[in-house]
Amino acid sequence: MDAMQFTHLNKTASGARRKTLTQNLVAYSFILPNLLGFATFTLIPMAFSLVLAFMHWDGANVVTWAGLDNFKELISDETFRIALGNTFYYVIGTVPPTMLASLGLALLLNQPLRGRDFFRTTFFFPYVASLVAVAVVWNMLFHPAMGPVNQLLTALGVDGAPRWTASVDWAMPTVIMASIWKGMGYYMVIYLAALQGIPSYLYEAAEIDGANAWQKLRYITLPMLTPATFFVSIMLTIASFKVFDLILVMTGGGPGRATNVLVIHTYNMAFRQFRFGYSSAIAMVLFIIVLIITIVQFRLEKRWVSYM
Amino acid sequence: MKRLYTFLTIFVLFSLVLTACGTPAPTTQPAAPVGGAPVEAPTDAPVTLKMVAWDISTTPYWQAVIDAYVAKNPNVTIELIDVSSAEYQDKVNIMLSGGDESDIITVKDIPGYSAMLTRNQIIPLNSYIETDGLDLSAYSGAAEELTYEGSIYALPFRSDIWILYYNKDIFDKAGIAYPDNDMTWAEYEDLARKLTSGTGADKVYGAHHHTWRSTVQLATVQDGKNTVIATDYSFMKPIYDMIVGMQKDGIIMDYGSLKAGSIHYSGVFKNEQIAMLPMGSWFIGTMIAAKNAGEADFNWGVAKFPHPEGVTAGTTAGTLTSLAINANSENKDAAWDFIKFYSGVEGAKALAKTGNLPALRTAEVLDIFASLEGVPAEATEALQTVTVRLELPMHPKVGAVEQILNEEHELIMTQSVSVDEGIASMTRRVAEALAE
Repeated sequence: MDAMQFTHLNKTASGARRKTLTQNLVAYSFILPNLLGFATFTLIPMAFSLVLAFMHWDGANVVTWAGLDNFKELISDETFRIALGNTFYYVIGTVPPTMLASLGLALLLNQPLRGRDFFRTTFFFPYVASLVAVAVVWNMLFHPAMGPVNQLLTALGVDGAPRWTASVDWAMPTVIMASIWKGMGYYMVIYLAALQGIPSYLYEAAEIDGANAWQKLRYITLPMLTPATFFVSIMLTIASFKVFDLILVMTGGGPGRATNVLVIHTYNMAFRQFRFGYSSAIAMVLFIIVLIITIVQFRLEKRWVSYM
Repeated sequence: MKRLYTFLTIFVLFSLVLTACGTPAPTTQPAAPVGGAPVEAPTDAPVTLKMVAWDISTTPYWQAVIDAYVAKNPNVTIELIDVSSAEYQDKVNIMLSGGDESDIITVKDIPGYSAMLTRNQIIPLNSYIETDGLDLSAYSGAAEELTYEGSIYALPFRSDIWILYYNKDIFDKAGIAYPDNDMTWAEYEDLARKLTSGTGADKVYGAHHHTWRSTVQLATVQDGKNTVIATDYSFMKPIYDMIVGMQKDGIIMDYGSLKAGSIHYSGVFKNEQIAMLPMGSWFIGTMIAAKNAGEADFNWGVAKFPHPEGVTAGTTAGTLTSLAINANSENKDAAWDFIKFYSGVEGAKALAKTGNLPALRTAEVLDIFASLEGVPAEATEALQTVTVRLELPMHPKVGAVEQILNEEHELIMTQSVSVDEGIASMTRRVAEALAE
């Protein structure tokens, strides 16, 4: 009797398992097309690069085992140290100002202003504009002799205006400014969407309690925006660590190595000097840095992000 | 946690699979001794050859020489693959690493040549040259420059030297005699200082040095005592001091402005903003075309490249443009036949007719060049050379060294560092790179 019941139970259990399996397979088949593309063009190259970091390869001849040689070389590579420093300089210079600027714009353009849609489009425009065109225009604006910016500064009586991309000290700030200008429109749209998701009854209740504009911003808007802020901070940090194209077109990493960041260094090592193994090691360091920072961001999430 | 393990397991498996199939795969053609005896008479079977070259729409000679070849070999079709000149070598490297099957690769410079041959992406041509009994001495030294460890991997077809261009109208207005063919760099500087005049939009600069490293560093290796791959760069100090001094005094345009504005040397010469321009002989063709198009309505001339004290006039630096055969090509013999033509007398004549200087300079070829409409009368004399040194020598580390020199050049020219600091930094960094 008991035995019979057991078999019966077992049967149902295996039936349920088979059903789950079928369901899972159906689900997998739905993501398969995308997964195939992702695997071919992202996952496999990534894994390949991971393996290459422990190899010597010039792109044509036999791959030879390098062990930790590439990583040892990183320690003594002066350009790598400079590029690492420049990368952090860029990230720290870009992330907080872009977040503040896009939040400010979103708050402003969420008001019932005249021509609001026009301004929203205008601020979003740089994000969709071609990056090469943006870089060329910024280079012209900030041209040390003929650029409108320096002509204005000179007209205002500024002596020895900065030489922007032609100066070791100013090249990075110039690139950062261009990057903030280009990126803020996109994050503004994310903030705008989040702002519109805040229920109006919260503000109404606050008004009844006599809250002023600042208090509403401080105690309702900002806390309600924390999920969006969290998303923006993660996306923006990752994007900033990966910066490449803007710098390549604006300064090419120069003057000297003043704007050489990790991805530029990776590119130079791989495609200019054919040291694919070494450049993979640099890329891997970048990957680990981004991974750690993202994990830390997720760990800290619970302390400040509120999901209502 | 369990999910993490599963993920890691999959990842490791992936990696193992990739290492397993990745290692033996790379295309290691051990520079195959070129398949048997080259075909003597071209067969009549139709052949299509693919040739990688740059800026096809603005470079007239690719098609001109191809047309001359096809007229004689109607069974051959040459397909040009266009790559922008600015990223030519990067693009070609990526193409070849990806197993591209183009037949003929144009070699733009020595770093590119060096990179392709050390990676066995182009084949040695020695067996072809022996079979066809080609006399390489006709290239007056150029073939030796391309020889690496006893093998030559490309045949030169174009060879440019550095000369001095000047705007005759500016000289006439200033009442100063034109530069002669025996001028030292010190005399050049004096002349440039005398010719500088005006302010603002009307300013005329006495000379112009384009943002390339070579516009400064060539003069430092002209005496042949050093090459740009060195263990001590202090020999570059006098020329850097001179150029930086001229820049500070507004005799030449400011490097930072040129770079930030991506200003091309042809623009400032055509706009009559500069009196003298040290530049490669390829610019003759550009100027003839500009004059015909009505873009440059003034008189210009050429003189020999200025030289350091104690060096014979006619000593200059040069570049070689050559043709190589892709190791992956399936039509190597047909490609060789084409290269032989392109670099030979017939090709040289066709090239000279387009206003470019072929590597093979017989009297006949030079006559064709000099008699072209628009070539200044001074060209015949100015193009006579005593010694031509390569801009960059063959060296396995030439790419890494060049990057360092470019970076330090930029720092010196933007006056971010002093000349001494920049040179000390070159010495230290190149030594480190060579030691690796």
